[in-house]
Amino acid sequence: MPSTYDRDNIARIHKELHSHLPPDPALRVKALESLAIEKGLVAQETLDNWVELYANKVGPMRGAQVIARAWTDPDFHARLLADAGQAVAELEFDGHASAHLKAVENTGEIHNMVVCTLCSCYPFSVLGMSPAWYRSAAYRARSVKEPRAVLAEFGVALPETVKVRVWDSTAELRYLVIPQRPAGTDGWSVEALANIVTRDSMIGTMRDLPLLGAT
Amino acid sequence: MSRPHDLGGQDGFGKVDVNAPPFSHGWEARQWALSRNVPIRAGTIDWWRHGVENMQPEVYASVPYFEKWCLNDLAQGIDAGIFSMEELLQGVTVVAPPRPAKSIQELYDGIRRSAVDYQRPMATPAAFSIGDMVLTKTEMPVGHTRLPGYAMGKSGTVIAYHGGHLYPDAGALGREEPDHLYTVEFTSEALWGDARGDTVCIDLWEQYFEAP
Repeated sequence: MPSTYDRDNIARIHKELHSHLPPDPALRVKALESLAIEKGLVAQETLDNWVELYANKVGPMRGAQVIARAWTDPDFHARLLADAGQAVAELEFDGHASAHLKAVENTGEIHNMVVCTLCSCYPFSVLGMSPAWYRSAAYRARSVKEPRAVLAEFGVALPETVKVRVWDSTAELRYLVIPQRPAGTDGWSVEALANIVTRDSMIGTMRDLPLLGAT
Repeated sequence: MSRPHDLGGQDGFGKVDVNAPPFSHGWEARQWALSRNVPIRAGTIDWWRHGVENMQPEVYASVPYFEKWCLNDLAQGIDAGIFSMEELLQGVTVVAPPRPAKSIQELYDGIRRSAVDYQRPMATPAAFSIGDMVLTKTEMPVGHTRLPGYAMGKSGTVIAYHGGHLYPDAGALGREEPDHLYTVEFTSEALWGDARGDTVCIDLWEQYFEAP
């Protein structure tokens, strides 16, 4: 059956759900899982496998490989800036919420930072699950209005000469920040470079990538 | 109307918990798996978003993030007749044959196939070009929209044009209607009266702008 597209109907169902379901979110999720399995909509093992997949194989390490490649391959760098969706597909990292991916690059004058003020849009197939702070009301509310104060909470102190460009993901476009390649990494392999690229640097809540612990 | 999800620029939420991990509880990861693998999202992506927006405002503000997903998946499944409120609350009377499990490799391969193209050809030319100033509308529409409240009635500069993309306000009503999509850069001075020179870039459809 199709959706009704009737907002009064969905509002009525929400009201009923909230008053009839047990208040514990774990029990609410369990109720959805039991219902989906009994209705033959999903297998329990599929859910287990999905959790494992996102814990181990799909995560910010994919984005880090994209950045490391862009730092070392000028042609790939150009393709990434021209059409990031196509460029990540070359590495087979395309998929959920990455069809219209845009790469935005930090420079000495510009610092980029990504948010979704209306919900929590995120390039899942490139960065994995978003950190909880990215989905929090505080980050969504404040990063467009006081980005420097938010960055300071992440330990980023920006000089006045560096301007902040905040990208609010309101459409199906998704944004990936290309951080600056740190000095002292000449001649490093793609793998070694990927090891120093952090998730937060690709969202824009980190600016200078430390080399500590890298090989 | 109430727009509890339209958070940009609101005050009173305190500091950002910068060290919070992606999942703090097992049920959150479980809900993520359910949302991506149970075929409940029968409607458009904007109908799903509008479902979240139609939670009671006090519930939206108080329940954790993935609990909103859970409640909305349940509401969407009931709305589309995939299961009923009675089946949820009292149990399923006829258990369906089990669905075959997907392996990690099948799920991994499926991610690549899950990319959705929202671009569509346009019959009419774009009214604005890169470099143009645009002024956003001030009237709050009834229903779903992706023009954030903080960017209403503001002037900004077009910095990118993306062709026709499905218009979310119509998508939430089940209609597939493309409109010209732009990225507009607003100065922090135009948005907040802050002359520091920072900017906010927002992806906006042509229908959100006053006529040129």
